[in-house]
Amino acid sequence: MSALATTAQAAGTMTASTPRRGLFARHPELFTLMLIVLVSAVVGSINQNFFQISTIFDILRSSTVTGLFALGVLIVLAAGGIDVSFTAIAVLTMYAITKAVLGYWPEAPFFLIISFGALIGALLGACNGFLIHRLKAPSLIVTIGTQYLLRGFLLTFVGTLFFMVIPQSMDGFGRIALLNYTSASGATAILPASVLVLAAAAAVTWFLLNRTLMGRAIYAMGGSLSIAERLGYNLRVVHIFVFGYVGLLAGIGGIVHASTIRLASPFDLVGTEMDVIAAVILGGARITGGTGTVTGTLLGVILVTLINNVMILAGVPSTWQKAVIGSFILLAGAVFATRKKK
Amino acid sequence: MTANDSPQSATTNAQPFLDVIGIHKRFGGVHALRGVSLAIMPGEIYHLLGENGCGKSTLIKIISGAQPPDEGDLIVAGRRYHALKPLESLAAGIETVYQDLSLIPNLSVAENVALTEQLVATDGRLLRQFDRAILKQTATHALEAVGLPSDADFQGTPVELLPIATRQLVAIARAIATKARMVIMDEPTTALTQREVDNLIRVINGLRASGVAVLFVSHKLDECYAIGGQVIILRDGEKVAQGPIVDYTKAELMQLMTGKQLDGRRYRTGAATGEVVLQAKHLGASGAFEDVSFELRRGEILGLTGLLDSGRNELALALAGVSPADRGELLIDNEAPHFKTPADAIAKGIGYVPEDRLSEGLFLDKPIRDNVVTAVLNRLRGRFGMLDASKGDGLAEHTIKDLQIAAPNIMLPVQSLSGGNQQRVLIGRWLAIEPRVLVLHGPTVGVDVGSKDTIYRIVQRLAENGLAVLIISDDLPELLQNCDRILLMRKGHLAGEYAAANLEEAALYRALVGEESQEVAA
Repeated sequence: MSALATTAQAAGTMTASTPRRGLFARHPELFTLMLIVLVSAVVGSINQNFFQISTIFDILRSSTVTGLFALGVLIVLAAGGIDVSFTAIAVLTMYAITKAVLGYWPEAPFFLIISFGALIGALLGACNGFLIHRLKAPSLIVTIGTQYLLRGFLLTFVGTLFFMVIPQSMDGFGRIALLNYTSASGATAILPASVLVLAAAAAVTWFLLNRTLMGRAIYAMGGSLSIAERLGYNLRVVHIFVFGYVGLLAGIGGIVHASTIRLASPFDLVGTEMDVIAAVILGGARITGGTGTVTGTLLGVILVTLINNVMILAGVPSTWQKAVIGSFILLAGAVFATRKKK
Repeated sequence: MTANDSPQSATTNAQPFLDVIGIHKRFGGVHALRGVSLAIMPGEIYHLLGENGCGKSTLIKIISGAQPPDEGDLIVAGRRYHALKPLESLAAGIETVYQDLSLIPNLSVAENVALTEQLVATDGRLLRQFDRAILKQTATHALEAVGLPSDADFQGTPVELLPIATRQLVAIARAIATKARMVIMDEPTTALTQREVDNLIRVINGLRASGVAVLFVSHKLDECYAIGGQVIILRDGEKVAQGPIVDYTKAELMQLMTGKQLDGRRYRTGAATGEVVLQAKHLGASGAFEDVSFELRRGEILGLTGLLDSGRNELALALAGVSPADRGELLIDNEAPHFKTPADAIAKGIGYVPEDRLSEGLFLDKPIRDNVVTAVLNRLRGRFGMLDASKGDGLAEHTIKDLQIAAPNIMLPVQSLSGGNQQRVLIGRWLAIEPRVLVLHGPTVGVDVGSKDTIYRIVQRLAENGLAVLIISDDLPELLQNCDRILLMRKGHLAGEYAAANLEEAALYRALVGEESQEVAA
């Protein structure tokens, strides 16, 4: 209301001032960064071993798959939706492709495998998008439905056995080292090449969100579905694109996941959706849609990974990890919520 | 009328920009538009008038491409369409500013202003890079044209953080950016103060001067006269009149809209003599209002007006117990209750009908009955403390009859009613608490002329039956017509008290606006 007074103030010419906002309101990702620094400082002060190159490598390695999923969730949240089926898409894609490759073409090149994973993932995701647009149903309902459907399909028709041996080219990809580091104590830390997949996905997602009309359409739809439609955005295209893109990242994430853990289990991944969504929320995206950045999301992923992987170094029992993540989310909720108030 | 791009188009004044020809639209059994035809000339201002439900909104939706007509055609800049798609309408240069302004809240000012242009340029294809330099350039140009700042900081601000008047201008800047040739504005002034309205009118005149046609939808006839131009009047889905507004008197316009003879007569004759029900002594709330004292008597109707920042809204909320005053005394029947919550105010017999009935008042998807009984659930207890449905039904039936709500039954969802009837449901809810004092905040915002009159008559009857009424409103004729006395607030203080009986509207308006600009100058 105070800005209204400003508007009415000058007789004759209209002056409207730019509303001032707090630092965290303008850059929610700074809050995430602050939490990362805080956790690192606490863990590091308790256990000096924390400050090592190998810790960074560990965190980056563990962040890769979550990060791929999180970029997808970011786009869905920005578009005002939610997706809980991406883990099901990932595991179905990963398991079905692994099984098919092992059965029919064990020496298939990795590039082909991951492309196929992306394709199947994108198709499954696009189905989500189509259903959501067509049924005009909340995306949460639709993706809960498809999560069960895909998982049921996987376990009933594709298989329930673990593959302890994965195709050669996937195994090979999982072992490529981007960087090798040998510490003074003689231990070797490896940064796997798979982080490059995350880096590429982050770059593409950033470009998509910030430089293309599709990106603006996604935020516009997240801001207000009905207004976006009135302004001439083709919401069917946006819906299908958004959920297709989540599926694509999920498919890639699934293949990368199997390649790094060298195991294909049909019971994997599903159930980890909340960790991913938590990471994106901690990165500053609003659950109500229309906001969120790639930087924030990546920081959110690093924060969650940090809590999950290194708190053990500080002697904190692993059962406490969830409590810490939970309280951080509440804290973030309180900090970010203040920017909505007038 | 044939499509042509003949040499005549050089003299654009002779060619209508938009021809609407014989449009029919039916919704189920309702024949919303019955063969409406009209022509919109470039550089002309039109006021589309009519009661709620006369087909105005439907007509606008058809012109903007949000809905297809059942029959009829549209000729836009010489091209004939049966139905427009939203993007076609935009591409043809028709920009519609709905009441919600069609701004995407989370996108920046620059994006809201200038993205549509790029979307039209790519024909709606989304997998394209957008040109940020052009975006900025277009936005800068358009923002300057409406007198808004164009610096990077302002351009980057999310629209949701801006006050409504600024948003309004951002929406007009978008019309300029898309090189609109016709701008449709749906009740643009509802949420604006007089000064902001004046500024809006200036911007609109600028648009008109550059050859843009402007179509207003408004309920405020005084504003239509102030703006000038042509009126188009719809009644029951038919165009009943079109012509220069100066050719019609206000009474004639109202009669054309409603089909009934209405008068703008003043109901009140003088000071009320009942005992004092509510007394405010030096009420104050930090940053909102200070030292506000007044009294309100049984059977009296008191008006309260002021600019949006005058503290009148905050005072209303304090009386309703929503955000209580910090200082001073509020006496009801000479007792000083301490209001901390709206429930306290309700218990003391203060009914508050909020300004924004959609977001603050009504449960839109719930039936009339549930909306009426919600403040008096404790009185409807039957056996075992369960709700007694028949008591609620009785109350709702009574409300419908008493307030002349046009609804076949009490189980109809409130959202299916017209604005005037919705407002009456809300008033009915507060009458159900059998209040001593009824605070009406903007009682006829967004309500059509015919319904306004019904509401006024209800309010008058309530006062005659001894209810003390406080009306907070921007609508000066409304206050003059209904009140005994009018209080004027300025900058958080009571700046004047007027007897309504012989007060000229112009004098009240000068008091509202005029003196303040002197203060600013001083």
